[in-house]
Amino acid sequence: MVSKRFILKRLLLLVPVLLGVATFVFVILHLSGGDPARVILGQRASDARVLELRQNLGLNDPLYVQYGRFLLDAAQLDFGQSYKVAQGQSVRSVLASRLPITIELALYGQVIGLLIGLPLGVISAVKQDSIVDHLGRVGALSGISIPIYWSGPMLILLFSTFLGIFPASGRIDSTMFLADHWTLFGTELPLTGMVTVDTLLLGRLEAWFSAVRHMFLPAATIGIYSLALISRMMRSSMLEVVRQDYMRTARAKGQGSKITIMKHGFRNALIPVVTVIGIQFGTLLGGAVLTETVFSINGIGTTIVAAINATDYPLVQGAVLTFALLFTLVNLGVDITYSYLDPRIQQ
Amino acid sequence: MSTETTENPTEPAERGLLDRLRSSQFLSELFSNRIALTGIVIIATMVLVALYARVFLDVGVLADSRLGGTIPDRAPPGWVGPAPADTYLFGTDAAARDIFKRTLYGAWIAMKFGTIAVGVSTVAGIALGTVAAYYSDLTDNVIMRTMDVLLAFPSLLLALALVSIFGAGLWKATAALILVYTPRFARVVRGAALKVLEDEYIEATEALGATDPRVLVRHVVPNSLAPITVQSTLNFGLAIIDIAALSFLGFGAQAGMPSWGKMLANGVSNGLLTGKWWMSVFPGLFLAITVLGFNLLGDGMRDALDPRMRETVD
Repeated sequence: MVSKRFILKRLLLLVPVLLGVATFVFVILHLSGGDPARVILGQRASDARVLELRQNLGLNDPLYVQYGRFLLDAAQLDFGQSYKVAQGQSVRSVLASRLPITIELALYGQVIGLLIGLPLGVISAVKQDSIVDHLGRVGALSGISIPIYWSGPMLILLFSTFLGIFPASGRIDSTMFLADHWTLFGTELPLTGMVTVDTLLLGRLEAWFSAVRHMFLPAATIGIYSLALISRMMRSSMLEVVRQDYMRTARAKGQGSKITIMKHGFRNALIPVVTVIGIQFGTLLGGAVLTETVFSINGIGTTIVAAINATDYPLVQGAVLTFALLFTLVNLGVDITYSYLDPRIQQ
Repeated sequence: MSTETTENPTEPAERGLLDRLRSSQFLSELFSNRIALTGIVIIATMVLVALYARVFLDVGVLADSRLGGTIPDRAPPGWVGPAPADTYLFGTDAAARDIFKRTLYGAWIAMKFGTIAVGVSTVAGIALGTVAAYYSDLTDNVIMRTMDVLLAFPSLLLALALVSIFGAGLWKATAALILVYTPRFARVVRGAALKVLEDEYIEATEALGATDPRVLVRHVVPNSLAPITVQSTLNFGLAIIDIAALSFLGFGAQAGMPSWGKMLANGVSNGLLTGKWWMSVFPGLFLAITVLGFNLLGDGMRDALDPRMRETVD
């Protein structure tokens, strides 16, 4: 069992880190030097108007007042209005509409990684130093050496440009439009923002099919990297476990076949892999940024890139903070799972 | 083993990792390890390519657009110009530039900025990590909590956030990555240094009146180096990927620069859907092979340092 005290302690430890993260992001805005009012109004606006807007935005207040206000707002996930990329919209609503897109992509990539990577790692370990193992290891090592912004284009070249099986960009056929809510027993409910889920909720199979076809290449791009990482970790973790004393005991007690032995060790071998999955989540988010760029998917990744290019600071701040928060929470989840699998950690 | 030169044959199993690094046994193991050897060969080749490109190729010529001349843009690999010496092995890009020469020059850019990013962050990590471990309490807390904040960001996102302050460019992107990597190295070194500090000889050195800097530089740092060596090697591949990623997104190498990331971005936007595959295949292939070299070497080093992983289970 994971004790409530342990979870509470971990949650409290998050507070200073998140405060530091928010401070860091605040400092970024103020170091970047640009005048937000000038960015909003454009270079040709009169100085008087810029001054007026600065007053309205509170940019003339002392720094500590601005910092306090920023922290209060950030605690409520309020990052103000987007200057440019989605002018007039609140950063929160922009992020809320784009985050599901990125999460959907990352999840499919992770699922591919787990479904193929775990068995591959186990097989490699069971057949250590066989041809299968060597091929698997070289394959996995190549997998982590190939950057996402190369494997993505290569998949597009092969499956889209030359074979024409899968679409190269977007999330659904451009001729298809989805309703903005769905109904269950007469009640209108909001959609998830994840296109492969929404099409099912709306009961539109042809749209679902299109969404899955669009998801295939980007998910495979992330999946290849993820499966390479997971299979490597699973292999070495498995090999580590079979050398433990309790495994020797199991063998001495007559658990003959290598397969039974491996089954015995699987749960224990999973423990370090769980950590890797957590750490890898950060890489996965970075990978999603690149994948979205390659496949022109309008998620948080492309939004951040567009926001930096347009010096849309509130949007950059909001997106970076959201990613950091997400990453931190996933790692907290990993820590708790870890302590569930191995209760000694709670000390 | 015959190369073993230590006087005491029955020394404790917990021999310092650095000793293993220093001893010729480690090196001979590394060179007899096929994985590591392949990595070394790949890296050495790429270093030679990089040096060749730096000495014999003019980056100004490679960066300028050749449109409007006699050479067509997007010419396929193996295209031969009016003079037979004008052979375009990898074809030309959207500005009619020689992809082969640009790819070679990309090796120099990757090696140069990869070395700077990993080198500076390793040194910074060693300094911060050992100081944090040695002066516990306040100093340790200030250093490590700052590192925790930096580690709370997914690495590419932190790099992007920093680039939004620094602005675009290869040097600025490298500076951003140094800030991204330093906390990881600091954490690894601090862990290793804490173990070293438990050893009695540190206490003995202090009792003999050694000053803090002397203890740190002469004893703690050298004995905490082994884990960071493997980490740095593996991180080298990552640094090359990350620098190219920032260039790919438009925040690293600027227009015309023959960096692999920038070339890939050009290939994706100018030739991917029209089947001009050579524009994105070659720079990416060189990039992946280089990174593979560092990953092979890193893996081999880990095997050589941890011989247990080599014995098979029966």
